[in-house]
Amino acid sequence: MFRILMNKLSTIQSHGFHTTTCLNEVQLLTRLRVVDNSEIGKRAMAEGKPPKVICVYNKKRVGYIGDRVMVAIKGQKKKGILVGLKQTQKVKVPKFDSNNIVLIDDNGTPLGTRIHVPIPTILRTILKERTHAKGADYTKLLGIATRFV
Amino acid sequence: MSIVIRKSTIDILCAAKWIARRDCRALSSVPEKVDIGEEVKEKVPGHKPRAHNPLLEYRHVYPEFLPDPNPKWRNSLREKMERADMLKRRSQIDIPEFYVGSIVAVTISDPHAQGKTNRFVGICIDRKGSGLRAEFILRNVIDHQGVEVRYELYDPTIQLIQVLRLEKRLDDKLYYLRDALPEYCTFPLDMDPEILPEGTPVPLNPVQVKLKPRPWLERWERQELKGVSNIEEHLKEKDRVRRELRKTPWEKYDLMKQYRKTIPAEDQSEIWNEVYNQLQQMRVSRKKMSRKRTFATPKTQLA
Amino acid sequence: MTTSNMKLLCTVLGKMRIDNIITRSHFSHPRFRPPYWYLPKERVMSDELLTQENKDFLEEVKQDKLIHQSALVSPLANNEPQELVQWNPFTRRVGLIARKIGNYPMWSKDGKKFQTTLLQVVDNHVIKYIPPEEFKPMKSSKVVWKEKRKLGCLLIGSETIDPSTVTKEYCGLFNSVGMLPKKHLCRFMISPHAALPTGTPLFATHFRVGDHVDIRAKTMDRGFQGVMKRWGFKGMPASHGVTKTHRRPGNIGAGGEKARVWPGTKMPGHMGNRWRTLRGVKILRINTKHNILWTLGVAIPGETGAMCYLFDTVLPLKKLNTPPPFPTHPPVEDLPIEYHDESIHLFDEPTITFEES
Repeated sequence: MFRILMNKLSTIQSHGFHTTTCLNEVQLLTRLRVVDNSEIGKRAMAEGKPPKVICVYNKKRVGYIGDRVMVAIKGQKKKGILVGLKQTQKVKVPKFDSNNIVLIDDNGTPLGTRIHVPIPTILRTILKERTHAKGADYTKLLGIATRFV
Repeated sequence: MSIVIRKSTIDILCAAKWIARRDCRALSSVPEKVDIGEEVKEKVPGHKPRAHNPLLEYRHVYPEFLPDPNPKWRNSLREKMERADMLKRRSQIDIPEFYVGSIVAVTISDPHAQGKTNRFVGICIDRKGSGLRAEFILRNVIDHQGVEVRYELYDPTIQLIQVLRLEKRLDDKLYYLRDALPEYCTFPLDMDPEILPEGTPVPLNPVQVKLKPRPWLERWERQELKGVSNIEEHLKEKDRVRRELRKTPWEKYDLMKQYRKTIPAEDQSEIWNEVYNQLQQMRVSRKKMSRKRTFATPKTQLA
Repeated sequence: MTTSNMKLLCTVLGKMRIDNIITRSHFSHPRFRPPYWYLPKERVMSDELLTQENKDFLEEVKQDKLIHQSALVSPLANNEPQELVQWNPFTRRVGLIARKIGNYPMWSKDGKKFQTTLLQVVDNHVIKYIPPEEFKPMKSSKVVWKEKRKLGCLLIGSETIDPSTVTKEYCGLFNSVGMLPKKHLCRFMISPHAALPTGTPLFATHFRVGDHVDIRAKTMDRGFQGVMKRWGFKGMPASHGVTKTHRRPGNIGAGGEKARVWPGTKMPGHMGNRWRTLRGVKILRINTKHNILWTLGVAIPGETGAMCYLFDTVLPLKKLNTPPPFPTHPPVEDLPIEYHDESIHLFDEPTITFEES
């Protein structure tokens, strides 16, 4: 009985099967890690139900650093920005052990108030490029970061 | 048809050449293998007492000066130009001696960062590439998040490479640290450099890391790792059987494979003769500079 | 009036001869037609029973010739720069024969990395010039109505070889210039006033840093390849009941009127080992000592060690604007060892730093 329970628990944690390819690409149904201290993100991570990607907003439908994604988190649809990737990166760009995401709303304002993992510096340039005068302002995300690598 | 026949004859000729060269190499008395361990070297019967060539020791300190052994890409002139460019870069920046397992701090000029410089500290988990393509990977755990950065050795945006702790590990590649417990690759960013007394050999750190439970990123049990202690705990009977089936114990006797992977000793000594003087001069001048600096610092403190 | 007109027409028609009627019932491969300056080069090597003395003597002769060749002074060296011939944008200059010796990365001044290919110009010499009046290439079946630009033909040789390995006729081509035979011989079509005297050596400085060149070379030989590798077809699924057709092309045509294989259908066949031209390649760096050109990119056809031909580019936006060394760069003693493009970061320059904006 105990063993069955343990098995079940372990499958929840490691998902049992791979939804990402060996390239560790962020694509549809990839599980991500919320790294800000927003209420919904904290609870989702604590319950062991990390958010799933349901849309990547670019032409290739594969998420790269700084891309906007839509995630399903605790039965809700939320938008987020990829701030750290597991896949092999270019020279001098850090590669992380997990796929990290910061939740934002439609205006680009982050839901949390603090990011508790380091963030790549290249994100500064990428997010500045993505921000337009009348659209969403993504650079607010940089204000809540604690450390850059 | 004629083309086919001609090609096959060429192949035969090539093969004959290979064999002839191999015979010559077997007779050569200098240690010639780069990647083979000490035990294998000793087993190779030498016809003459082996002459110890200090120049060949440079292959450990400056591995990127040896070209890629693939004969498809070899060209002596290109390699020469590449080495000249490498020495030019080395005259501008001190690229110290470090190994896989050493703890290195790298400062780069980064157009994205706030102060336009960026510093990263981490353990070197791999060194690869040859010539100007040489690169290394640093790994660290910052705020409970594993981070890896890949740097090119001859990138002109690198301002400083500082070795904080010079040591070797039991394995050639430390990719298993990704699956190890985080304390094995957690290093503070404001770590102080540990200075070894001059003339001491590079210490070997015999630490054996503990892996996290599976799933792993690779099948570590099949790679004959020396630096992992608890690999057997996580294995099932099935994995042990598979590991036995996949073993390739004959590979260490495959002379041809070793030949293709390495640069012959004669070529190596040629390369080292070419770059030895300049490297030595750079070392000496750097030492003088550092001595001057150490003399200079107390003065500033007094003032 | 009408009869005279008719007569005129008849005479005109009578003069017209139709001797080239292309009737191609089936596709025939173009046969190799050697250019008319071509002389057979390969020779059957036999084991000559020479004594050691004779062999030494032959070696001595070879060395003498080599010394003589290296002592040859370039005809351009003592001539005063001729003011009469001037370069204009419609001139066609001679090119170079180079060897691809590999590639390695370089960095630009703003810290970006790019790959470069190294091309070595191995002792290029002008062997022969055929002026446009004498140059009559083999007749092609195509009727050329337009009067073509008159171009001369210049033969350039590269890489000296042992004269005993080639035929006597081939050696004769070079003997008249006083040179040992060359391994590679290439024809360059040039404007008549860009002609060079025979025996002129050509160097890497023939091109300048920042110029764009067209590079013609043979692509890597990949042998007989299937449709997936040769044309990038998708193949067929690996499973789901697919049998024996995982890498096959599938359908190659429709039925009915078109019930045949259309010409040009992509099919398996020999891949590579064809002449291809890469246009508009930028030169970043030139070494005058070893005669090496660094060109941007790695897409130059052929493997390391392959020969390639360099021309001034024909691309309209990348064409030469300012007059290049014309007809070629004369041999000068005190050249700087290296020329660089402004955009690249030299390895002996200090580390790149970025300014706070």
